[in-house]
Amino acid sequence: MNKTIYDRLDETVWRTTLPNGLRICVVPKKDFTRKAAYLVTDYGSIHTKFTLDAQPFTTPDGVAHYLEHKMFDLPDRDVTEEFAALGANPNAFTTYDTTAYYFTCTDHFEKCLKLLLEFVSTPYFTQESVEKERGIIAQEILMYADSPESRVFEDLAENLYAHHPIRVPIAGSVESIQAITPQTLMQCHRAFYAPANMMLCVVGDVDAEAVAAIAQEVLPRERQSVGLPDLGAEEEMQVLRPISRRKMDVSMPMFQLGFKCPAGLTGAEFAHWEMVAELASEALFGESSGLYLKLYEQGLIDSSFGGGVETVEGTAMITCGGDSDAPERVRDAIIAQARRLGETGIDETEFARMKKSFLGRRVKDLDSFESTCFRLCAYEFEGFDYFRFPESFEGLKSEEVREFLREHIRQDNCSLAIVEPLEQKEDI
Amino acid sequence: MIQTIHLSEHVVLRHYPDSRFKKGALSVQLLRPMCQEEAAKNALLVAVLLRGSAACPDLRRITWRLDELYGAAISTLVRRVGDVQTVGFYMNFIEDRFALPGDRVLSPTVEFLRQLLLEPVVAEGAFDPDFVESEKRNLISAIESERNDKRTYAAAQMIRYMCQGDSFACPRIGTRETVAAITPKSLYDHYRSILRTSPVEIFYVGSAPAEEVAQLLAPMAAALGSHGTAAPTQTRFVPTVPPREFSEQMDVNQGKLSMGFTTPVNNRHPDFAAMQVFNSVYGGGMTSKLFMNVREKLSLCYYANSGYYGSKGIVTVSSGIDEANYETAKAEILHQLQACVQGQITQEELNSAKQALISSLRSTPDSPGALESYYVTSAISGMAMDIDEYIRAVEAVTVQDVARCASTVQLHTTFFLKGVSA
Repeated sequence: MNKTIYDRLDETVWRTTLPNGLRICVVPKKDFTRKAAYLVTDYGSIHTKFTLDAQPFTTPDGVAHYLEHKMFDLPDRDVTEEFAALGANPNAFTTYDTTAYYFTCTDHFEKCLKLLLEFVSTPYFTQESVEKERGIIAQEILMYADSPESRVFEDLAENLYAHHPIRVPIAGSVESIQAITPQTLMQCHRAFYAPANMMLCVVGDVDAEAVAAIAQEVLPRERQSVGLPDLGAEEEMQVLRPISRRKMDVSMPMFQLGFKCPAGLTGAEFAHWEMVAELASEALFGESSGLYLKLYEQGLIDSSFGGGVETVEGTAMITCGGDSDAPERVRDAIIAQARRLGETGIDETEFARMKKSFLGRRVKDLDSFESTCFRLCAYEFEGFDYFRFPESFEGLKSEEVREFLREHIRQDNCSLAIVEPLEQKEDI
Repeated sequence: MIQTIHLSEHVVLRHYPDSRFKKGALSVQLLRPMCQEEAAKNALLVAVLLRGSAACPDLRRITWRLDELYGAAISTLVRRVGDVQTVGFYMNFIEDRFALPGDRVLSPTVEFLRQLLLEPVVAEGAFDPDFVESEKRNLISAIESERNDKRTYAAAQMIRYMCQGDSFACPRIGTRETVAAITPKSLYDHYRSILRTSPVEIFYVGSAPAEEVAQLLAPMAAALGSHGTAAPTQTRFVPTVPPREFSEQMDVNQGKLSMGFTTPVNNRHPDFAAMQVFNSVYGGGMTSKLFMNVREKLSLCYYANSGYYGSKGIVTVSSGIDEANYETAKAEILHQLQACVQGQITQEELNSAKQALISSLRSTPDSPGALESYYVTSAISGMAMDIDEYIRAVEAVTVQDVARCASTVQLHTTFFLKGVSA
């Protein structure tokens, strides 16, 4: 395995790629009891259309998430119970563009790792068990449907994008999941769970060579073909709907504001763009910005307000949101401030302070094994080594941030999603 | 290992030396009785203090200062620990070794915290009226946003009925009315009074040695707790209202069931570890009886789990279900409790539950936040075991112990939040 030392982070990473294409990355953490292992596939809710071995497939909305639920089944075995007997917590989640399976444990690490690799690489779906899961997932979908935070973000995605599948909620709908069968799950597993489409990341006091040996032993030896997702035509920069309103039983209005940005960069270019975007959001509406203070003091936002960059394959946006009695005034103030900053530029002292803070926060985040694992995988899929952030960061110029604000924070690429209380209060 | 240092009679520093982390953590908390009269003031106080100090007189300067400290983070603490409410701040910050050469982080962070706590923006014996007014609005909207999360709301409605007369029913951050009644002057008087009369818990985890931390904290400690009284004693929960089953309607797709149970076993009780194992067997995780039966076997829900509040001796069950399945789900939840009472617990179930608890205890020293929470809350709630003792107690638990604990668990209140559409 290849060893890389990151002096500035006081970390070491061991990496290798198996003959079957699986990428492995191990971050040794000496003297820690806890271990975390993530097995992530570059496949999420947006990948419903794809071709595999020259054959086109169109699968129902919510299939990646349904598959995540059903992966925990093995013939005549109960994966959850086996993990529990080892004192480990297995779990999984599906995002728009990835599916992650993971566990954390303190003891029996190698047995746990073997089990993780086994169940994720063994498709086993019976009619009966797929049927039974439908009720559980339907309840999960209804739970999200009652959550104003989920709804307001889903509304924003629908407003911003004309046809990109980010418009569809990750779990699909109660209707769409009715069409999912064991055969559907099997096809999707074959298309996207090939080791060449996956990455394994382990953080903890473990032996890196042993991790690679276990993966080699459990997973299929040969390289298999991987599905080629079709996300449809590239999106125009103009938004589908500039504003949407939905009524729910909430105590005060809640909003998400989004600015649609061009997508499609990869590797170091992507990472660089994302850092500029992050600093631009910080300079524009972050807690240390003049605008945040003004809006907070005017009572237009409260401490629930926050935002940043969101990137999902084929999309990129700056979003922010929270509770507010006057979301449209917040939007107008943000656009006006971006125009001002675009003209005057960012104060150099302020910019240096923002960079210092950004670096410090990323360093602190490395104490979380879970977020380290997931970020290493997610950035690897984008072709970037996450632990290179201090170096990439250094070269950033305030002029780039100014340029970003001028280019991407505008009225015409912006949309506002609002969730309003059922009855408007009279004093507004 | 952890070291307890009395900085003054009523100010305790718990120092946990650890050099493995990228960041250190520091919390400072005044201990108050959890009660209706104070909850809103305590919650509002820390929010107002965080708006500015004499040295950093507005939000933006506070954030600038935090940015200069390499993105140090600060949050308010208004915890409920049994009958105690804690009032203070939690900070985390990079270890000095990750700062630029010659730059220090810990020492200026402690000074920043001292200024925030002891040198607020004050004029004519009152807090800044703008700070107070805007934080009152924020606090009221936080109180009212409870209903946005239907699961939290259902659990709170259940507790508000079941625990009437006990501090547990007292809303942690107050009510709209108690917040509205606060003035810049009354809040400042409250601040002056609790600053001098509350016992103080300080916790530090990081690479700095105890003597250095104690020395850095000395100026802050000197101004705190000089007329200190002991922390309020912890009491066990005993219901004063009759058992009840009730419901409410809201415009939701999914109904939320919330059930409240009582037990005499609290975290000062010899059966505490067995009670934790019971909770884990019954509804603690993905192999618990509730998960395996209510979700996996009957497909009635996405979640069904139990919670145990050791400082009070309260067990809760919550589940999101269709209204049509209300009776079935409730019956199954009680049926699984009976199975525990009768000792129908396999060796695998027992082992899994114990392993889960032990793993989580063994993981505690691997996170600064988990360490802070474990040591501070156990000190305040009177739970006398350190992590190793707790692990040994869990290891010793048998099926009989779990069944004995289960038999003390009595259903008291059932609340159902149902949708409006039929």
